[in-house]
Amino acid sequence: MGKKPLFIVMAGDGINCERETAFALEFAGAEAKIVHVNDLIASPEMLKSGDGLAIPGGFSFGDELGSGQILALKIRHKLGDKFFKMVEGRKPVIGICNGFQVLVKLGLLPYPNAEERILALAANEQGGFINRWVGLNVDAQSICLWTQGMEKTQIELPIRHGEGRIAFKKGEEKQHYDALIDQGLVPLTYTEDVNGSYGRIAALTDPTGMVLGLMPHPEAFIFRETYKNAGASAPEKGDGALIFDNIMRIMKGEESGYERKAV
Amino acid sequence: MGAAIRVEVSAEIPDRRLEKWAREAREYLGVPVASIEEVRVYKILPLAPANDAPAKIGKVFSDPVLARAHTGAAAYTFKDTPAFVAEITYRPGVTDNPARSAEEALSLTGLQAEVASGSLYFLFGSVDAVGAKKIARELLANELIQKIDVWPYAEFVKLKRFDEVKLPKALFTHPPKPEEVSLELDDAGLEKLSKERFLAMTLPELRHIRDYYRKPETQAERKKLGLPQHATDVEIEVFAQTWSEHCKHKIFAANIAFTGADGKTEQINSLYKTYIKRATKEIEAERKLGWLISVFSDNAGIVRFDNKIDLCIKVETHNSPSALDPYGGALTGILGVNRDILGCGLGARPIANTDVFCFAPPTLPAKGEEQFMPVGPKPPRRILEGVHKGVEDGGNKSGIPTVNGAFFFDRDYVGKPLVFVGTVGVLPPKLPDGRPSAEKKLSAGDRIVMVGGAIGADGIHGATFSSLELDENAPATAVQIGDPLTQKRMADFLLEARDLGLYAAITDNGAGGLSSSVGEMAQMSGGASLDLALCPVKYPGLSPWELMVSESQERMTLAVPPKKLKDFLALALRRGVVATDIGSFTDTGRLEVLYKGALTGVLDLHFLHESLPQMQLQAEWKGPKARVNWSDTTALKAKRIAPPSTRDALLALLSSPNITSKEKWVRAYDHEVQASTHVKPFAGAKTDGPSDAGVIWLYPHGGNKDSGVAVGCGMAPRMSPIDPYRMAQCAVDEAVRNVVTAGGDPDMLCLLDNFCWPDPVTSAKNPEGAYKLGQLVRTCQGLYDICKAYGAPLVSGKDSMKNDFRGKDARGMDINISCLPTLMVTAMAKVPMGASVGSAFKSVGDLIYLLGAKDAAGLAGSEYAYAFDVPEDNGPAIDMTKNLALYRAFHGALKSGLIRSAHDVSEGGLLVAVAESMLGGRLGAKLDIANNAATLFGEAPGRIVVSVAPAQKAAFEKAVSVASLLGTVEVDGKLSLGHEEILLDDIVTAWKRGF
Repeated sequence: MGKKPLFIVMAGDGINCERETAFALEFAGAEAKIVHVNDLIASPEMLKSGDGLAIPGGFSFGDELGSGQILALKIRHKLGDKFFKMVEGRKPVIGICNGFQVLVKLGLLPYPNAEERILALAANEQGGFINRWVGLNVDAQSICLWTQGMEKTQIELPIRHGEGRIAFKKGEEKQHYDALIDQGLVPLTYTEDVNGSYGRIAALTDPTGMVLGLMPHPEAFIFRETYKNAGASAPEKGDGALIFDNIMRIMKGEESGYERKAV
Repeated sequence: MGAAIRVEVSAEIPDRRLEKWAREAREYLGVPVASIEEVRVYKILPLAPANDAPAKIGKVFSDPVLARAHTGAAAYTFKDTPAFVAEITYRPGVTDNPARSAEEALSLTGLQAEVASGSLYFLFGSVDAVGAKKIARELLANELIQKIDVWPYAEFVKLKRFDEVKLPKALFTHPPKPEEVSLELDDAGLEKLSKERFLAMTLPELRHIRDYYRKPETQAERKKLGLPQHATDVEIEVFAQTWSEHCKHKIFAANIAFTGADGKTEQINSLYKTYIKRATKEIEAERKLGWLISVFSDNAGIVRFDNKIDLCIKVETHNSPSALDPYGGALTGILGVNRDILGCGLGARPIANTDVFCFAPPTLPAKGEEQFMPVGPKPPRRILEGVHKGVEDGGNKSGIPTVNGAFFFDRDYVGKPLVFVGTVGVLPPKLPDGRPSAEKKLSAGDRIVMVGGAIGADGIHGATFSSLELDENAPATAVQIGDPLTQKRMADFLLEARDLGLYAAITDNGAGGLSSSVGEMAQMSGGASLDLALCPVKYPGLSPWELMVSESQERMTLAVPPKKLKDFLALALRRGVVATDIGSFTDTGRLEVLYKGALTGVLDLHFLHESLPQMQLQAEWKGPKARVNWSDTTALKAKRIAPPSTRDALLALLSSPNITSKEKWVRAYDHEVQASTHVKPFAGAKTDGPSDAGVIWLYPHGGNKDSGVAVGCGMAPRMSPIDPYRMAQCAVDEAVRNVVTAGGDPDMLCLLDNFCWPDPVTSAKNPEGAYKLGQLVRTCQGLYDICKAYGAPLVSGKDSMKNDFRGKDARGMDINISCLPTLMVTAMAKVPMGASVGSAFKSVGDLIYLLGAKDAAGLAGSEYAYAFDVPEDNGPAIDMTKNLALYRAFHGALKSGLIRSAHDVSEGGLLVAVAESMLGGRLGAKLDIANNAATLFGEAPGRIVVSVAPAQKAAFEKAVSVASLLGTVEVDGKLSLGHEEILLDDIVTAWKRGF
């Protein structure tokens, strides 16, 4: 095994989970470097030096104009191709909560290079922010490299969002949903309806399986100490850690999945 | 400049929030609106002509799935024809966060523009003009900060709203020059001056300043400096802010002649020194505490529970602003106390928020009571909704988990809601450059740098305003809206600058603005000189005095050594944070205030900070007084009903506002961001049972792996009319018990005191001042005694002294409503990880014990006595020595793993505590317990309900001797008492009813 893979963890402008996301990556064996988005813009070559990228959760730009909207505009206009090249360069990318919203707004999930976006993360059906723990089914058939091969088929993580409902373009819901499932682009679904998300979709990947966007917070459940119930029996390692472990396993080449081609 | 463009953004997916508003309009306002649709509006004024503006605007505001942007004659395809349309826009100069973000978004696309935001609300159904206005005024907008326009739909569609678009413009044409304010007035003239300028200064204070300006040496000095004979407005305003009750805590520093129930009078030289500071100093010495790092001298108290990371904590109140603008008031409250933490020592990182609300019940006014409601404060339901949203945005958008809090409802908070907001922070004992992080050290020559937002008229006179009681003429400029994004950027930047060693001292700009922050820091070097014209402003036209005292949000003041200035400002620029060098600290002994290089005011630091004459006050406590109902002036007791059966009483209590589940509200607060929340607000089999305190794991924050910290709160305001001495002790005991129950170590525990009092100074309009001050004295005495008995030091505190409403009721009659004298106590304790077991019962067959006194008598002050007509008594007693021994034994048993669940006995008493443990575990219970109200529902302090595995019985009983075996945990889905049975399902339904 060579040196630790380096993850760039984006920060600034109202992102607020960069520290725990970096902590989670380091716990999984990566090197994590928290970089302010303005510093990335000033030195975009940093993106090239990274082996992976994380866009953490938070309230970038206060969620004004729709969550993720302005940070996506900033990335598109200020980083542009340099950013898209990194993502296309088959490096693992994770967008958590607000980071997921940014990836969707950037058009990187589920289909990069699509002419028009087919889905969005809309306001929760119950009409507000909610912090609760959810059960998640892990789709063993998904091509997502962050979850593929995970031993557990059901995991628990917290959600903390106001805009996490997957909504498709009106009238085209079923066709797009079926296609996503067929192509294995939905790695995680909620075990119950928590926010009105279509098909209980909790996460999406892209056709390379390298990009994971998810509303639940894996970085919030690395240790049993932050499990939903203090004092309850919980495994030593949190379910969120399994996701980071999985990508590390794959990046270290222990699995051939890293070389898996797009469908 | 191009012509302004109006863009309307319609949602493609229905917003459920609007359904809720429509329902509330029907239920609470009685307006039969069928539904409401919202369209967001942005008015965009390009700063240079831009032909491609519409394309860029489209990119910024539309979304292929979610939103459509219209820049001309928008044709909306509604299912029905709306009846009315209301447009809500911000008043000029009010913080408009969506607009600021939109400006940033547009500038990313290359379009520099000024933006104003607003909303159109389309009202459907049989709504008339009166109903439409009612919905707009009472549900959709706050007229203090927003402008409302209402049209019938037929008229609205004829408006040429996309042509000649105008943005609201703040027009302040106040003279940029200081004015002289002569104090050569008689007493009546001085009082008139104070009232007209919102100075909130007393006659002795005004005379004290007048006499100072009369002195020949003052005049000689002024002449030498080229200042006018009389005080300038800048000087007067700085005095008013610095000496405000809010900043100076004059009542707690007063010399009080106190006559007790025994008729004897004693002189108390400062409640603060005598009871609060002394308690801590004595405890520190007696217990040889090595973990108090900084108390009473900084923005927050600092303690060391972990050798790797220090903790600081502060709790503030934001009552007056929350009464006028509940959302903005609560939001700025949260962001404000976060800044206290950012400005603690050399800067701490906020890791947890707490919030406690004392409101009138949201069901108020009851039918027939509308006419008695005070005019001015928002209705209770709106205050609840607004404050709630403010706390949600304040915490969530800042990335700080809200881990603990309480909702407490009582009718007497209708005139002024109490909003307590607290923050815990962490700071490394030493910074990378070796400086102790708790010590601010600045020197003459260091630059004064203001960081964060620009200055506007918002928040002028906040400090003096909160030192006055509310009336209908409260100034709208006292209302501020916070901007979490600006603050988050500033916080990230400051912590980065701290670790780079780029500044020498830091403090927040809170009450009193620059006058307080620079005025206080200047004491460290012995002077300061600043030029207000250098400050960034939101709009032109503000007078120097306004710049000096404005409480515009998201600002900190720092001392930056000259050789670090360049790096500091460069980093700020890279982080998108405004930082401005506005002057320097000096050693002249003076605070010199310039505007464009010319002196506009000079304050002698000694006179400003040390000369204020001590207030002389009278206080008396002669025993309990019956509470009076402000709506019809009958005794509150008259409204109560006869006590029902145990079952009905329990279910009624479980669904009463103070006890019922607040899950729906609390889950809107992110309580897990930063990934270190160990005990969360809800836990148990279905994660819907209550927790007693929040516990944060310190490892992710740089602490040891086995260390955590618990934060909890306690108060007992309904004891205030009965016995304020015991009220303080019940409040402390509840706070302590909450954190101890959640795993806190009773010997590594500190407290914070937050007093919210009705005006305790006797005057013509406040004849009961001495009685209220007497209550305050008794409370402080009770607080001192229990802190000593528990060995728990007070590390920080705050008081808010004018929580009264004096004005008119809806009939136009004079009405005075004072809040219940309220001491809110926050406890913070070290938690050995593994000691938190949760409140829910775990296993069938476990033994249920009550720790503490079994047959505690006294119902006065309890929820039961508030709801039902019971004989008067003197309330429960407290045995502090026994309690502490019990908590120590309990903590030992917790650490030894002898306890399966633990829940404190508080509102609703023993039976409610057992019911909550049952519903948490979704398990039944069988109790052998006496059937009398005081045993079942009394709220005697010092008690905890625990469950213990049968195998641990002997070991547990050996470890905790004051434990009474009550019964067992059962599988049968009911609470079985000797005399009655209550179904678990009914308990769950009642408790989860909410409001």
